[in-house]
Amino acid sequence: MSTFVQVMLDGLLAGMLYALVAAGLSLIWGVMDVINFAHGEFLMVAMYLSYWLGFLAHVDPIVSWVASGAFVFILGALTYRFIVSRCIGKAAMAPLLATFGLSMFLKNFCLNRFSPNFRILQTTVLEGKKIILGDIVIGLPQLVTGLFSLAILFALYFLMKKTRLGWAIQATAMDREAAELMGINTDRIYLLVFGLGGACVGIAGGLLTSYLAVHPEVGALFGLIAFLIVAMGGFGSIPGALAAAILIGLVEALAGFYIAPVFKYVAVFAMYLAVIMIRPKGLFGW
Amino acid sequence: MQNRKFLAIVSLLVFALVLSASCALAAEKVLKIGVLFPLTGPCATAGQRCVAAVETAAEVINNKHPELDVPLAKQEGILKGTKIQLVVADTQGKPDVAKSEAERLVNQEGVYTIIGSYNSSASKPASAVTERSKKIFMCGCSSSAALTDRGFNYFFRLAPTDKTESHEFVEYIGWLNKNQKAGIKTIGLIYENTEFGKHAADEGKAAAKAAGFEVVVDVPFNPGATNLNSEVQTLKAKNPDAVFGACLGGDYTLWVRTMKQMNWLPKVALNYCTGYQDPKIAQQLAADGNFFMGGTGYSPEIGAKYMKKVAAVEKIYTKKVGVPFDSDSIQEAVALFILAQAIEKAGTLDVEKVADVLRTTTFDSPLSLGGKVAFGPGGQNMKATSIITQLHDGKYMPVYPTSYAEIKATVPMTPWDKR
Repeated sequence: MSTFVQVMLDGLLAGMLYALVAAGLSLIWGVMDVINFAHGEFLMVAMYLSYWLGFLAHVDPIVSWVASGAFVFILGALTYRFIVSRCIGKAAMAPLLATFGLSMFLKNFCLNRFSPNFRILQTTVLEGKKIILGDIVIGLPQLVTGLFSLAILFALYFLMKKTRLGWAIQATAMDREAAELMGINTDRIYLLVFGLGGACVGIAGGLLTSYLAVHPEVGALFGLIAFLIVAMGGFGSIPGALAAAILIGLVEALAGFYIAPVFKYVAVFAMYLAVIMIRPKGLFGW
Repeated sequence: MQNRKFLAIVSLLVFALVLSASCALAAEKVLKIGVLFPLTGPCATAGQRCVAAVETAAEVINNKHPELDVPLAKQEGILKGTKIQLVVADTQGKPDVAKSEAERLVNQEGVYTIIGSYNSSASKPASAVTERSKKIFMCGCSSSAALTDRGFNYFFRLAPTDKTESHEFVEYIGWLNKNQKAGIKTIGLIYENTEFGKHAADEGKAAAKAAGFEVVVDVPFNPGATNLNSEVQTLKAKNPDAVFGACLGGDYTLWVRTMKQMNWLPKVALNYCTGYQDPKIAQQLAADGNFFMGGTGYSPEIGAKYMKKVAAVEKIYTKKVGVPFDSDSIQEAVALFILAQAIEKAGTLDVEKVADVLRTTTFDSPLSLGGKVAFGPGGQNMKATSIITQLHDGKYMPVYPTSYAEIKATVPMTPWDKR
């Protein structure tokens, strides 16, 4: 029984992290109908920033996530201003290809500047700390990252549902022209959405550095899983992203332990296909 | 007027000098060697170090280095002045890319030989291309035993295979049971689900069963995973006494740190040529990497005692990448040294004659543990040796065979909460 609880907890914590990584992508995709192919690389950039802040200035990831979030917010806003805004209204594939180019640039820039070496932050505040309840072990870095993810997702949900900015974002997502007629500066909304999307993945990257090695390829699989979560949860839906992410985390953990570790991604992608076949708009799609 | 004449004479002299220099340059004989490694992707760190090692060997061979006591260092080039020119290509760690890049190197670049390709899965198709073209493939460190079981005529591998290491691992466990009362009865395996990992695991299982150990768990995983929670949880549930690991680069760090997160360790963890051998990873893992063990063909500690001639060559290498040679990269330098010695001995670039020299000669190799290289059937280096080391504060300390042992291994590994 304790093994089952342990596996569930591992899946839950992994899912909470995936949710934060995917929330930003969901926002961008849902509002702007733009696929940000560089989302995984945004995560990698945030992890490098957090790593260097920790390594050079001894700033712990428990604090440096703020800087990572802010930095990737700016990176996201700049990406919109100088790349994506020039592609909107052009060929449907243009933003996708442009952000793909950005992802290649970011990955190879980091490869060139920081080498492909794997970098680990040692002696962080949470390093090696764990909560032990009988046979169940919960790593504190994973727990704190999971709880942070939940808190930020709730803040994002609150922003979308209870503030004028959130209503403006939703209005822009529903009908850009109508929103403009209502006096909403949709270009600025797009800029903010791209920035917010970047901030979410930036915060996730900042926190991840407390227990995961940083290297230029680190964002690849996270990026792919984020795409899955957004499509499964429903474009633009924060609760959908959370539900899909937790589902993916649990399926990954349960299939990995009870069937075979090598089967875990098979199970995840099979579930994705099943959900998309039954409900093409995703679990919470609108 | 006189000034003009003087200027004209000087101009003519300069022109003649430039012309003769360019003629001399044009006359310089060059031998193109393809260097095919993963320069991007998950194995880029290892790949870039392998390229730096080949570059180091080329630098030693191409220029006079009287201060170095290694073959060909005291002369310039091979075959009385032929310089080696490296043509570097990237496999990205992918078999399909390795194959197409090998084809490009052979057909378009016209390389004489290819040295590569770190990942066994990349070396396999790349060497099939050279074999078809009747060109030599020098493989430094790809360890899948299957590579030298194909009966190829032009494939030569320097490093020991997973089969050799697996037998060494079980022999060592037997020794630990007898001499340190380790009480190891069960074995588990964790490995990346690739050509390299799968072959290493198959050899590990076969060797363990043959030696009478029970294999209780077998955990393949997809390389580059976001987490290894289920993998380590599966190991923990079966709780094997010893684990054989075949996890490269980032996956190795993730495996070690996930075991720490789950507060579990086997009595002994023995690693194939993996992230364990990477000195940078050992440095990054710091105390978390302590007490893990693995097969090692070279480390500065081993070099200082048994391979003293490496140090001077290593200085050139360290300037390029900032770290000393590791077990993998040094084999790639050896690959070029051995090829150059074979060409020199054959006295010709005729592939058949050079391959024949490679098959029939025992070469001096100060950069190899044991100091000799001799290829057997299938192109495997029959003199390849590796010793088992245990990591202690970033130092690879030899623990087995006993003739090499510097310390008594810490067995069982010190638990996480007592470090």
